[in-house]
Amino acid sequence: MRRVIRPLDMDQWKEKRQQKNTKPVDIAIDLKDYALEKDIGKNEQNYRTIFRKCSDVVIRPFKLGTNCEVKALLVYVDGLIDKSLVNNFLMRSVMLLMGGKEHLMIRENSFDLLKDCVINIGEVSVEDTIEKAIDKILVGECIFMVDGHREVLSVSVRGWEARGISEPDTEAVVRGPREGFTETLRFNTAMLRRKIKSPDLKIEIKTKGKYTKTDIAVCYISALSNQGVIHEVFKRIDRIDIDGILESSYIEELIEDEPWSPFPQIEYTERPDVVAANLMEGRVAIMVDGTPFVLIVPTIFAQFLQSSEDYYQRFYLSSLFRMGRFLALNIALLLPSIYVAATTFHQEMIPTSLLVSIANQREGVPFPALLEALVMEFTFELLREAGIRLPKPIGQAVSIVGALVIGDAAVAAGLVSPAMVIVVAITAIASFSLPAFNMAITLRILRFPITFLAGMLGFYGIILALLAILIHLTSLRSFGVPYLAPVAPFRLDELRDVLLRVPWWRMDYRPESMEPRDKRRQGERQKPSPENRNGKGDGGNA
Amino acid sequence: MLEKGKISSSQLTFLIAGFTLGSSLILSPGLVAGHDAWLAVLAGLGSSLLIAFIYTTLAVKFPGKTLVQINDIIFGPYLGKLITIGYLWYFFHLASLVLRNFSDFFVGLIYPETPIIVFLIFITLTCASAVRNGIEVIARTSIILLFVTACATFLTTVLLVKDMEFTNLLPVLDLPLKQFIKASYAATTFPFGETVVFLMVIAFLENTKQAKPSVTLGLILAGILLVVASVRNISVLGVTEPIHTYDSYQAVRLINIGEILTRLEIIVVGNFLAMGFLKISVLYYGTVLGTAQLLNLRSYLPLVLPIGILMVILSILQFESTIENIHFAFDIYPYYVIPFQFGIPLFSLIVAVVRGLPKKAKEGSK
Repeated sequence: MRRVIRPLDMDQWKEKRQQKNTKPVDIAIDLKDYALEKDIGKNEQNYRTIFRKCSDVVIRPFKLGTNCEVKALLVYVDGLIDKSLVNNFLMRSVMLLMGGKEHLMIRENSFDLLKDCVINIGEVSVEDTIEKAIDKILVGECIFMVDGHREVLSVSVRGWEARGISEPDTEAVVRGPREGFTETLRFNTAMLRRKIKSPDLKIEIKTKGKYTKTDIAVCYISALSNQGVIHEVFKRIDRIDIDGILESSYIEELIEDEPWSPFPQIEYTERPDVVAANLMEGRVAIMVDGTPFVLIVPTIFAQFLQSSEDYYQRFYLSSLFRMGRFLALNIALLLPSIYVAATTFHQEMIPTSLLVSIANQREGVPFPALLEALVMEFTFELLREAGIRLPKPIGQAVSIVGALVIGDAAVAAGLVSPAMVIVVAITAIASFSLPAFNMAITLRILRFPITFLAGMLGFYGIILALLAILIHLTSLRSFGVPYLAPVAPFRLDELRDVLLRVPWWRMDYRPESMEPRDKRRQGERQKPSPENRNGKGDGGNA
Repeated sequence: MLEKGKISSSQLTFLIAGFTLGSSLILSPGLVAGHDAWLAVLAGLGSSLLIAFIYTTLAVKFPGKTLVQINDIIFGPYLGKLITIGYLWYFFHLASLVLRNFSDFFVGLIYPETPIIVFLIFITLTCASAVRNGIEVIARTSIILLFVTACATFLTTVLLVKDMEFTNLLPVLDLPLKQFIKASYAATTFPFGETVVFLMVIAFLENTKQAKPSVTLGLILAGILLVVASVRNISVLGVTEPIHTYDSYQAVRLINIGEILTRLEIIVVGNFLAMGFLKISVLYYGTVLGTAQLLNLRSYLPLVLPIGILMVILSILQFESTIENIHFAFDIYPYYVIPFQFGIPLFSLIVAVVRGLPKKAKEGSK
């Protein structure tokens, strides 16, 4: 017999082609095609389809009751749950003990009986849609179903391997708490709650990210924080629509006021005490699951010059340190450009003897000061970057190369002048002495154009660059609060906690820029004095 | 509304002080009076307080209205527009004059080989970015800049104490009365009377009633700093003071503390430039905003760069040399500004009072 092969027409061909293409590929699962069923067999089938090729999902059918007449199903993700909890409490109680009520169990009442009398685990909830059930499974809860009931029981047995609480590396202190946030959101909120034991501390959760379903906790003290700011934070978080959030910087960049600004407009910290202190000033904290870095809004410029330790050391020392950091900020931003401007244009302002020695050093150097400065700065940035990325044993080699080759050999070879090496070194130290890493980066970025302007136009260029930066800074706002807040616009009262840190007994008011609901921070006359000490702590009435 | 920003009364005070210091830190006012220049500045300050009273009375009578709108209300749509154009020309021209002063200063003293257009363009660009950000930003920067400048003025004065000869100030008022009056009048018109541009700014004050005290305080603050600078210059430079075109600069050059702190002028020049930036920005802003209001535009942003370019061009074209500029500033300018600084404001106020205008304006708006 001969088979006749007929040519396909266009529609048939398309259909065939589509079949061919779809067959081997797993198409995305649309949860709308599935629903919770009364029949446990259908449910099991649904879960197996949804979680096909997900090797970490455990789907366990079993039977309950005295005669094993009630079919049940357990679904969870291996690794996200605490196995001992599931084995010892959940399975044991439903299969063996039954709370002594196994004789009551029939198919009809099994669900309520299990929920109310049998399962001996604290957090249990009832879910009625498959979307919620799937979400619960994926965040590490155990889903429990019995035959004949549409609803599912979601049992909280979360437990996974997590990093323990340790001292934050990025914000080490001499005096102060040594605990830092971890990657697990629940631990973090707990650490915060341990600091602020008040029902006024609100922790609201939003879930963002199509695939990561990351929990974002917005924390604030409802009696202090400005309603407008809280509202604004939620508004900005709500409009985020992204496939995944892996770190709080995603949120930071998505909710900033001026996305193109080189300046960081949101402070981050790893320290629970910093978050607690900021919340008590009326700010709002944004925690993101999966990262120890917590965002704090609104942020003002002065915060980047402050360290948590300022509040734990004596106020003289803290005030001096703050002023020192301000100086360091200026050095980190301006020193290379001042050197370039002074040696290129304004030699008269250098004291004569120093000028002679600089001129001596520069005699054999073939490059203009501008080029010298830019090359050295760039080399230093490369060294720093190399030192961070390399494994520790090799990292030391980098510093040797930096110290010997750049520091010594380059000078000996007459490529750069020793004065330039000193300038670059001091600039580097100054930029490392700033407590906020993100602000130091900004200064490093801005340093290059300013040096360039200084090489072109001398001090005129530097001043204009500073004016331009100032204009930019004054135009910035962070969640409605001017970035340069207590300075411009000027608020004399708040200056006590900017470059100075007055003693605690003088910090009577919260910063007004944050527009807190309750301005007063502490009672009157907190200054310790003989009269106060003799009284029963009721201030200066004695 | 073309401008959404609001400024506080303290910001207005600092802005006025910074504006008034502006170019008068490099070109000292009252130079004609020789070693009595500081008295001329004081007299100028006194008379300018009277003039400022006229401006603020006008501004308070028409709260939330800029000069352009006030002119329209007082003189009607046609004559008002004509007067507005005159004022816009004045602001524009004054801005280009200040630009030229600063650029001449830099070319003449520090960068002799750089073409003047470089300085003009760079500072105009900086001011343009400030103007684009609105009056709120300019007012906020003024606080920081004025604080730095006040510190620098006092610091340089302290560092120069050992070089001062206070006998240089004697004899007091040893000059013909006519000459003193001329000098005081010059000091009134430059820099104090130039605050007329703030009629474009006071409209954005949060509380219009505070306009009078803030303006007065700002003028006094600037006056004190100018008198301090003037006394310093005269006592340090002595009889040679009047022959230096830029006497503050000359005085600061002489600082020499143990051969370490020497020739600090370049740092002080930074302050001069910052004040000049404030002055140019306010004038630039006044011109741009006024033009936008005159033409009924929805936003003034498209005007910023074109007007800036015109300003640069005008400041290059108007003088052949620095000497022409100085000649204009000291001999012609005081008479050129009579209508803008005294004539029209006084006339406006009289017309407003006679016509009982603010009430009418209210009824009209209802």
